[in-house]
Amino acid sequence: MSKRTGKFRINRFWSVVATLIVIYALIKWGIPAASREITGLPFPLPVPGTLIFMYMVLTLITLFMFVTFSNDYMEEFLGPIKGLLSARYGKLPRLLVLLAVPLIAGWQVYEATVPKIELPSSLRIQHPSSNFPRKFEAMKSPIANPPDTAIEAFIEQAKAGEVELIAQVQPDVERWMEETDPEHMLDFIATAPMKKFLAELKGGTVSKETAKAALLEKYLFEGRALYAMNCRACHGDSVSGDGPMADGFKLRPINFTDNGTIETIVEGYTFWRVANGGPGLPTEATPWDSAMPEWKLSLTEEERWKIIFAEYDLAEKTPRIPEGH
Amino acid sequence: MSVRAMGYGYLPTQLASRLALACMAAVLLAVTSLAAQAADKPSGPRPETTPELLSEGQSVYFRRCSFCHGLLGDGEGPAAEYLDPRPRDFTLGTFKFRTTQSGELPTDEDLFRTISRGLPGTGMQAFDAALIKNGLTEQERWAVIAYIKTFAQEFEDPDLDPVKTGKLVKLPDARAPFNADTVAKGKEVFKKAKCWSCHGMLGRGDGNKEFRKDDWGFTIRIRNVTHAWKIKAGAEVEDIYMRFSTGINGTPMPSFVKSLSEEDRWYLANYIKSLQHKLTEHQVLRALHVDGGVPDAPDANAWAGAEPMDVRLTGQVIAAPRWQNPSIEMATLRAVHNDKEIAFLLEWDDPFKDIVHKQDEAFDPKEIRKVGALSSYVASDGMVTRKLEVFPDSIALQFPVKPPNGTKKPHFFRGNSSDPVQLWVWKADLEGQGMRPVAEAIARGWRQPPRPQAEDKQQVSAKASWDQGRWSLVIKRPLTTPDKSDVQFAAGQFIPMALNAWDGSNGEHGLIMSLSTWHYLFIEAPTPMRVYIYTLLAVLVVGAFGVWLARRVEREAGKA
Repeated sequence: MSKRTGKFRINRFWSVVATLIVIYALIKWGIPAASREITGLPFPLPVPGTLIFMYMVLTLITLFMFVTFSNDYMEEFLGPIKGLLSARYGKLPRLLVLLAVPLIAGWQVYEATVPKIELPSSLRIQHPSSNFPRKFEAMKSPIANPPDTAIEAFIEQAKAGEVELIAQVQPDVERWMEETDPEHMLDFIATAPMKKFLAELKGGTVSKETAKAALLEKYLFEGRALYAMNCRACHGDSVSGDGPMADGFKLRPINFTDNGTIETIVEGYTFWRVANGGPGLPTEATPWDSAMPEWKLSLTEEERWKIIFAEYDLAEKTPRIPEGH
Repeated sequence: MSVRAMGYGYLPTQLASRLALACMAAVLLAVTSLAAQAADKPSGPRPETTPELLSEGQSVYFRRCSFCHGLLGDGEGPAAEYLDPRPRDFTLGTFKFRTTQSGELPTDEDLFRTISRGLPGTGMQAFDAALIKNGLTEQERWAVIAYIKTFAQEFEDPDLDPVKTGKLVKLPDARAPFNADTVAKGKEVFKKAKCWSCHGMLGRGDGNKEFRKDDWGFTIRIRNVTHAWKIKAGAEVEDIYMRFSTGINGTPMPSFVKSLSEEDRWYLANYIKSLQHKLTEHQVLRALHVDGGVPDAPDANAWAGAEPMDVRLTGQVIAAPRWQNPSIEMATLRAVHNDKEIAFLLEWDDPFKDIVHKQDEAFDPKEIRKVGALSSYVASDGMVTRKLEVFPDSIALQFPVKPPNGTKKPHFFRGNSSDPVQLWVWKADLEGQGMRPVAEAIARGWRQPPRPQAEDKQQVSAKASWDQGRWSLVIKRPLTTPDKSDVQFAAGQFIPMALNAWDGSNGEHGLIMSLSTWHYLFIEAPTPMRVYIYTLLAVLVVGAFGVWLARRVEREAGKA
């Protein structure tokens, strides 16, 4: 406290220490806290260590200039230090400081040189495109967009009461037909588009639009069955990445109901990933940890497209539209 | 402050703190009970069964249930044959998980709970919209329950309605807390009620010498009650109490309502809860350094000091033949090393000791490998021979041949052609034949079986024992070998490590197996001497500078 001015004034040494502490706290905790407010993200953005170092060096230079501005300032700054070293505040505090400072320095050196045990970690890119063949980008699903020939064939089959179904679902549908003796074999697909189609079929005039909608219902049924047989074990029966086998994998199966998964990619990309699986991934996507099979070895192209169609439907998502379309 | 004011101040403070405590307790209670029940208890009464509700139920059933349970509800959907346990056949009206007396139908709330929570360890998953984004709303769940009930005639008979007949099982009013005392009492009940005759003395499901079948003729697994994640209708004390109070219809699991008092059953539930294994969560196995020899038997004392690591395994579903019904889902690993050798202790639960191998029963997977074959999964009761004395139990430790370059590793499933892995394959049938029970082999991907290394390059040795439903196996090898295709154990490195495992009586052999993804082994290196030297130097230099500075300041002060 200065008697001359009668005002409270902190000694220059302590104001330097306080400035250093306040600035460090602002950079270390203040900026990340402010970043949460600014970005609105649920996590803070920390300031990188090298940047903290640079800020602190700048602060030190400024403080050095401030302290060395005049001899009086310098004297005032050095006052408490000299006081401590000349044992003006007592011998015990001096001894403690003279012991503590070398120990802190030793601890810092030990921390910096001792080998650290850290698990090798790697950033993983979820949707790598470095080896994605461009021809898949604009590929259109022949199942989600059936050609006219397929729709016409479906109408003919439905008229004859002999709709072609994949072999995997036939036993179940046949048992259902035997048991219930239905008016039409497609009655088991009791959805609005199918009901409308069957009603039009009965009336004798079928519009192509109605038939297409009904054909998509049939594809969805087949796709869901193929999904339940082949993908469900890992990705779960609600496509939530939580199947009975999911817990055994370090890389958990993808949850397709999550935002930022299958809705951010074109369906050609999904098709390519399903076909080539983990082994088809480039290095940045850590293929050695992926349990995704190369489905081109076990499923036909048509089966894969049907599964993808049903998968988007179950996840309540739509694929990204290819660029240039 | 006056004494009076302090007196006034005192009472409200105490009251406030008590109130706060009570509030906290209430919140805690609410949170825990919410976590247990929020998803599986309906918020209101069941809506009236109307044609509209049934039609809504039919559409939900078609979209979400029929692929396993079948269009007719007979449990024969297209995916059914790959599942074990099989999907429920609704037409028989036999339901396993109820809060009704043994042999009775379930209540609507029982069905609601099963659909909401799912049955862990089976293909039946949770369908609650509060748990999964595209799940079923409460209305949709009620609708599908109304529809499912149309499959079995029993639900139409009011005389069979357990609510009307009062054949319900309720939780006891007085529920003793979970503590050492109630657990000890439960253990006595476990012995008295002979639970061990099926579930084994340690609850590992190893009580029977033969497979048992359920009412539908399917081979069942007796529950290993120590693996909480596989307990189908819930692993909490309340859930466990319900299972032996209601029995599990269609299986040999009876109800103990008549033979055990309510109190005893509650103690028993506490005991079963206490048997549940708590999984470790780390991915790095730290090898313990010992000065003497490394242990070569599972019962050696040295293992007690080594930190265990649980490794989760799952069915091999990456390449055909794919396998969804693995029996070995967890192994516990420990490692001990000295300056020359390293030994691993592998322990895993397996209710049957399969030490016989009949080669000719192996199945040919060629058909299943065709593109567009009906399915590339092995059916649970179909192609594999699920019986005793056909295939041996087996396990393999897997390491990369080359030390990993950065984070790059071979594929966790047997590596790749450019990045091979080494497997130490132990087979349970070999020791009895006087052969070496473990062999080193090299794999370059799954397309070819692992190739055993030459006889003079075999440096691993093993010793195994099976006791009360658990295999304990020690595998030992020198830390380093001159062989280029061997993994070398250097200190201070993270060495990737994975497991392959086969339960013979579960029909597992070849690629029909369980496997794990990469974990790590770490052998601690001694801290290099330079670290201590640098630290000492820093202390001395800074200390000397401080003393020099202090002296200088004192001298200056003396002059002035």
